[in-house]
Amino acid sequence: MKYLILGASVAGINAAKTLRKLDKDGSITIISIDDKVYSRCMLHLYIGKKRSIDRLSFVEEYFFEKNNINWIKGRRATKIEPEKKRVVLDDGSFHEYDKLLIATGSSAVVPPVENLREGKNVFTLRNLEDAIAIDKLADGSERAVIIGGGLIGIDVAVELMDRGLKVDIVEMGPNILPMQLDKRSANVYERELKKRGAGIFTNVLAQKGVLDSNGNIVEVVLKDGTSLSADMVIVAAGVRANADFIEGTNIKFDRGIVVNERCETDEEDIYAAGDVCANKPGIWPLAVEEGITAAYNMAGLEEKIENSFGFKNSMSFYGIPTISIGNPNIDDEDYQIDIYDDGKVYKKVVHKDGIIYGAIFQRDISYAGVFTKIIAEKIPIDTIDKNIFKIGYGDFFNINSKGEFEFTKREYGLKII
Amino acid sequence: MRRIMIDRYKCEACLGCVLGCMVEHNKKGKSIYDLDLEDMANESRNHVEVDYENRPAPIICRHCEDPECVTTCMSGAMTKNEETGLVEYDKDKCASCFMCVMSCPYGVLKADRINNEVIMKCDMCSNREVPRCVEFCPTRALYMVEVAR
Ligand SMILES: Cc1cc2nc3c(=O)[nH]c(=O)nc-3n(C[C@H](O)[C@H](O)[C@H](O)COP(=O)(O)OP(=O)(O)OC[C@H]3O[C@@H](n4cnc5c(N)ncnc54)[C@H](O)[C@@H]3O)c2cc1C
Repeated sequence: MKYLILGASVAGINAAKTLRKLDKDGSITIISIDDKVYSRCMLHLYIGKKRSIDRLSFVEEYFFEKNNINWIKGRRATKIEPEKKRVVLDDGSFHEYDKLLIATGSSAVVPPVENLREGKNVFTLRNLEDAIAIDKLADGSERAVIIGGGLIGIDVAVELMDRGLKVDIVEMGPNILPMQLDKRSANVYERELKKRGAGIFTNVLAQKGVLDSNGNIVEVVLKDGTSLSADMVIVAAGVRANADFIEGTNIKFDRGIVVNERCETDEEDIYAAGDVCANKPGIWPLAVEEGITAAYNMAGLEEKIENSFGFKNSMSFYGIPTISIGNPNIDDEDYQIDIYDDGKVYKKVVHKDGIIYGAIFQRDISYAGVFTKIIAEKIPIDTIDKNIFKIGYGDFFNINSKGEFEFTKREYGLKII
Repeated sequence: MRRIMIDRYKCEACLGCVLGCMVEHNKKGKSIYDLDLEDMANESRNHVEVDYENRPAPIICRHCEDPECVTTCMSGAMTKNEETGLVEYDKDKCASCFMCVMSCPYGVLKADRINNEVIMKCDMCSNREVPRCVEFCPTRALYMVEVAR
């Protein structure tokens, strides 16, 4: 069997590892633009000089040798020819497959703001090359403007400030991290950032960049007229799936490659996994899960995605950890909102009829994983007569004969009218 | 593989397992007499919860066959050792992103309370024949079993 994988990041690597486990003799080839394997989630730590390139890797040493995987690095797939069962690369070479996995992830997009795409000192953060370029320019820079106050934007802001830059953050939502946090929990980070000199501009869009004669943006003007001077601009405002090469195939695309629960595309023997797939947040754990699931099906074993819940994020800025699950910002009076707030530790649980839809845990995140499970699987809690913040696995405790934990099935409680 | 079995109905919430875990992971020595309970650095990797009917339940890492903490780990710090079956944690690789804490469905994990940096992860007392929590359990609510994988 000839397995071909496009992309050498978390989805592709996990698929390859799983394929090798399931098929000792099959030939496995990975093709990627990346010439190193690294965790994109740690790129900001390179910018902050907290990790060297070697320490960005998430695989063991000699991964490819140990697993007998052929890796063609530094090459881009440009076309898939399903009828010939082969992939064409940017150097004109082609590679045949019996089973193909597309795990090409996504790229950061720069919104159509005047001069933003032209500016030479404008960066996104998605690839190691981006981190290296940001690191280099940061050395001679004093001021950075960050467009987008989401997780990646704040990751970069924190690290650039650590390096002594004055940073301004522009976010169109009502507060930073609007997808994950509410005002109360976002304020905690806003305060920490401001304390260190950051400017935070919320509820506002960037309108244009002002270019100097060298083609660098020296000023970012916001819709409300505010002008922010800049030596560099970082854009963290969303991503787009890397899938140009599917043109001409029957693979369905809807802001990402459309797959079924077995990670199959509409084209026979072609699978997709990770951030390149449609209809879900692009997060690491899902890319792992999908890479593994795709591999099982590629090897001829039926396996379905068990858990595709992607609305979970953890973060830790300035030593303050927060976990956000589901939608903690539901604004509907049918929902009940329970809050614990002692001025430091903040917890919020949004629920309705015994089902939890969203939660935030800030400063005390111990054992919070059980809430991820409860929220992802809509496990009813209405029969647990207890302070909601004290709910733990103990309330579902069930251990099987192999010593594995399972969740006690709870019947949805009958409401007495 | 070896697993710590839990019979919750024998548990009397004496917290012996919690103490045992702290004793084993105390940097200042591995005897109970070395343990300073006022030293914040002494933390256990297990805990005992009380459920909605006030029944205790010892929560101790299962070293799962399909561990969520490993799936979710983006630094390579959490790994499943295919030989021993243990889920191992390498704090030097860890980026303190807490995705494992967020993802363990059994709420086993937490970060250390001093620096919020290191994950309090059961290591089955590495080379010990019997893990300390089991040794410290006076009611035999905890005992070792060999399970097929
Ligand atoms: C700064 C930052 C912080 C993040 N933090 C978190 C976090 O805390 N938690 C979390 O869950 N997620 C986080 N993420 C998201 C996470 O990194 C992604 O979900 C994950 O990397 C997706 O993996 P993937 O394998 O699908 O694709 P990617 O990691 O995007 O990799 C794509 C691979 O495909 C290759 N490729 C692309 N196009 C082609 C082509 N045409 N031909 C050949 N190869 C190609 C690339 O070279 C690369 O090897 C973060 C991302 C960033 C950038």
